[in-house]
Amino acid sequence: MSDKLLEIKDLRVSFFTPVGEVKAVNGIDYSLGYNEVMGIVGESGSGKSVEAYAIMSLLQSPGRIVGGSVLFEGEDITKYDAKQMTDVRGNKISMIFQNPMTCLNPVYTIGDQLVEALTCHNSSISKQDAKKRAIEMLDLVGINNAEKRFNQYPHEFSGGMRQRAMIAMALICNPKLLIADEPTTALDVTIQAQIIELMKDLQKKTDMSIIFITHNLGVVAEICDKVTVMYAGHVLEQGAVNDIFYTPQHPYTRGLLRSMPRLDSENQDRMIPIEGTPVDLLDPPRGCSFGPRCEHCMKICLQNVPPLVEIGENGHVSACWLHVRQAAEKKEAK
Amino acid sequence: MTSYILKRIGSALITLLIVAATTFFLMNAVPGSPFITEKSTPEMIARAEAKYGLDKPLVVQFVNYIKGYFVGDMGVSLKMQQDTSVAEIIFNQNKLALSSRIGAYALLLAVVLGIPFGCIAAYNRGNWIDGLLRVVTTIGVAIPGFVVATTLLVLFGVQLQWLPVRSGSMETASAFILPVFALSFYPSCYIAKLTRASMLDAINQDYIRTARAKGLKTGKVIFKHALRNSLIPVITYLGPLTAYIITGGFVVETTFSIPGLGKYFISSILNRDYPIIMGTTVVLAALIIIMNLLVDIAYKLVDPRISLSKGDV
Amino acid sequence: MERKMPKYNIFHTKVDDILAENQFSSADFESATAEEKESMVEMHKSVSYWRDAVRRFKNNSVSMVALAVVILLTLFAFVGPYLIPYSYEEQFRGSMKLGPFEYSEGELRAKEALGDADVLFSTELMPGSLTSLKKGDYAFSYRGDWYQFSLNRTLRSGFLMYNGSKAEPLYTVKIDDFIAGGDYETTSVAFTVVKDKPVDPDVTIISMRSSVFPHVFGTDSAGRDIMSRTMYGARVSLLIGVIASLIVLVIGSIYGAISGFLGGKTDFIMMRIVELIYSVPDVLIVLLLQVVLQIPLQNWFDSSSLPIVRALSSLGVGIVSIFITFALLYWVGMARIIRGQVLMLKKQEYVTAAMVLGASNSRIIRKHLLPNSIGQLVVTTCLQIPSAIFLESFLSFLGLGISAPMSSLGSMCSDAIDTITVYPYRLLFPAIILSLLVLSLNLVGDGMRDALDPRLKK
Repeated sequence: MSDKLLEIKDLRVSFFTPVGEVKAVNGIDYSLGYNEVMGIVGESGSGKSVEAYAIMSLLQSPGRIVGGSVLFEGEDITKYDAKQMTDVRGNKISMIFQNPMTCLNPVYTIGDQLVEALTCHNSSISKQDAKKRAIEMLDLVGINNAEKRFNQYPHEFSGGMRQRAMIAMALICNPKLLIADEPTTALDVTIQAQIIELMKDLQKKTDMSIIFITHNLGVVAEICDKVTVMYAGHVLEQGAVNDIFYTPQHPYTRGLLRSMPRLDSENQDRMIPIEGTPVDLLDPPRGCSFGPRCEHCMKICLQNVPPLVEIGENGHVSACWLHVRQAAEKKEAK
Repeated sequence: MTSYILKRIGSALITLLIVAATTFFLMNAVPGSPFITEKSTPEMIARAEAKYGLDKPLVVQFVNYIKGYFVGDMGVSLKMQQDTSVAEIIFNQNKLALSSRIGAYALLLAVVLGIPFGCIAAYNRGNWIDGLLRVVTTIGVAIPGFVVATTLLVLFGVQLQWLPVRSGSMETASAFILPVFALSFYPSCYIAKLTRASMLDAINQDYIRTARAKGLKTGKVIFKHALRNSLIPVITYLGPLTAYIITGGFVVETTFSIPGLGKYFISSILNRDYPIIMGTTVVLAALIIIMNLLVDIAYKLVDPRISLSKGDV
Repeated sequence: MERKMPKYNIFHTKVDDILAENQFSSADFESATAEEKESMVEMHKSVSYWRDAVRRFKNNSVSMVALAVVILLTLFAFVGPYLIPYSYEEQFRGSMKLGPFEYSEGELRAKEALGDADVLFSTELMPGSLTSLKKGDYAFSYRGDWYQFSLNRTLRSGFLMYNGSKAEPLYTVKIDDFIAGGDYETTSVAFTVVKDKPVDPDVTIISMRSSVFPHVFGTDSAGRDIMSRTMYGARVSLLIGVIASLIVLVIGSIYGAISGFLGGKTDFIMMRIVELIYSVPDVLIVLLLQVVLQIPLQNWFDSSSLPIVRALSSLGVGIVSIFITFALLYWVGMARIIRGQVLMLKKQEYVTAAMVLGASNSRIIRKHLLPNSIGQLVVTTCLQIPSAIFLESFLSFLGLGISAPMSSLGSMCSDAIDTITVYPYRLLFPAIILSLLVLSLNLVGDGMRDALDPRLKK
């Protein structure tokens, strides 16, 4: 068995639309160890959610994986057939989504939907046991009065409660990996904090790994061990959370951090937005996808895709020609 | 729940009263007396009008009508079956029973055919099965009912001679096949289209993604999670469907020479037999309105999001 | 500027490896200019709404075929009657109950006679329907020449044949004798060719035809040409569809717009009225209206001499009462849609912005409401056309709409039902034309909806 829980190698996902192929994920590469929390950060359309759906084989037509592999505990799950995949989904890898208001089926009770998640992977479990376990899970995620809540419909839950129920449902089979696709984006700030707290707590209790997809850097700092910064289907920078936050190397990461409001900043700096709009994935730039928006853009950036190079400890990598230029200058100076 | 139902029954009664009033005043807006024929003298007409109370002011006539309806007295036929009670004609001459039988079979068939075919089309979205069903259903909802009815008549009755043609008597089961199928063709296609569209809509919902992420098998995702939600629009359609079945019944009964209420209603209009027109309109309108009421209640039962205790629609 | 892809593994590489394997020039690391950056971002050309809609419609092959069918059927309905020599109401005595492309005996004889002659002249379009021709002098024009002839006796009916050579005399035949077969009396008429138009302005111009036109769809029990009636019926259907939809559009959008725009109590009351009309089972009322409206309309047409009433009366009571029905009952759907649009648009930020900027109501309506709801207006109106045709044919089928001698596809089907076992084709033609019409109009409407409002597309 591999020492990595999840290894993604050169994963490529495209959507084949009538107007052309949209390369939503353009070759990404990372790995995740056991009991590790990885944050994936990026703007809308950066391919971070698509990549997560690709892992789960939940891509909707016309999207499909066009290359690369997803190794889960050493096995390439992109090669799995539909039946094998249903064994993985919800059982070994679970997922929670952005909008808890629409993610629960309105015509079934919360309990129904929880029990279903359990019984579809464990057909031998008795009804009573399943119900007991479901109520336990509701308790675990901090839903009061779980017995009563079990029989209620989603519309009787608030947004935060629904997300808790979603988490309970995702964790009911003790998955090894939880993919959280912007789980707090649609929630109020106070509820956000509670959910993050809950997830942190549960992660420690259950020893699972989490891929936390978000555009909120604050959330990443709170919960993640590692961070991957994505842009237009490419990984631009990756590293331990402290490295990314304290010594960001890629201009895009720096831009993201600068555009984040900070209370603790000593000088009263203004938030600095990143100019321009995200690229058109139908017709991406030939070189660095961020090039046209980058303040340090060089001629080479517009022509060639920058390599992801090692720039620090703990697997800190960044894809920028600036690193190559610095190295070249250093070499010349010698 | 009770207050909601009471409120809906109240509004249904008001609608029914409006239908009755509209019918009554429309009929009487036609100049001239229903008794005018080539031979009739003014005295004869006056005598006949006095006999049936048509000489009284309109409002009085209307109030008398409504009073009568509350005690089951719907007046007597003026012409078609002179002096026979309208209630007798509608309820006891097998007219309503025959029409309702055909209508109920057609309604059932439409649901039984429409929903599965809609699911099949949605499940096979994009491939040839879906394409074929789309062609059939598109044609089915676009072609007038009488064209379908007459085509079936020509094809199976005249050309192939498998089934009886306009026998008039509806004693054998085979006599029902063509009328029922003709009547259910449009609604089956409509329900299939509706089910397909709402299935596809449901399939794209977030909760379906959740169900898949849970690891449910495709069959269970579709038949448990998508179908129940996509049936909600189908249930709402059952109200208009009843109205369609009734008006479509006129066509089918005319086409197949079935002595039902629909055919009788059309002739009563052509003959200006007021009490029969009134009686039939009120009975049919009541059927439609009751069905709408049932649908509204069923709709609220299927969808837990709609609170039953609150009265607002 | 094209340069070869540098040699490197794109993932997790060491910078030194890249430097070792590739040669970089200092030019590579020069800052890119703003123009260079700009040139990399190719903006997709934005296309105007209508252009885009037309393109989407053109790409939809089903709708394009349906549109072609609609155009063909429109030509069939409006141009067709000019191309065939039969009218929809004319009853041809000898030509009852003919099948498609069947000829009556008289027509066969005429055809035979035409085998010898070049041209068959007739005072009417068909043998058998000649009006009596009094003794006297006549003139007619043929291929640009004017011909004159004199009859030496009164003809009750008959037709004139021209025997080819102009030198030979034209003769007339009594049609009854001709059809009866055996010997028939021919009457020679003297005629002279004159180059100029006859001096006498009151001459009877004798129409002519060079062949006996077949009854392509056959004839009905009264000897009327079914193709001509089908064409006329299709014309009635299309007219009803278009005019009824326009009525619905005008009434519905005015009502809906007022209700939505004013809002408040007015809106509440106006919408209760709409709901009321909605809840009434419409077809029952429509059936009654058809009967109720007949006599008053007829009286109105007979008494009034206003040009508009004359125009309406030429359409006939059946058609006008269908229009009235639509004006009374069927605008509610449109009114709801328009009100919904208005309410939705009222909430949109750009309308609020326009209001804040001090734009007048009429400007907001012209610049914001109309352009944004026009798509839905067009689509709803288009889809109203087939449903109006649907309703008319339904009523006519039940004997409550348009009736003979006026022609309607619905009433033709209904007439055909009585003889369904013997003459099934009589049902076939009107039914096919009607179905094609309604189906293709629906498909065009669907295509327009997809083209105009891509958000609605499933």
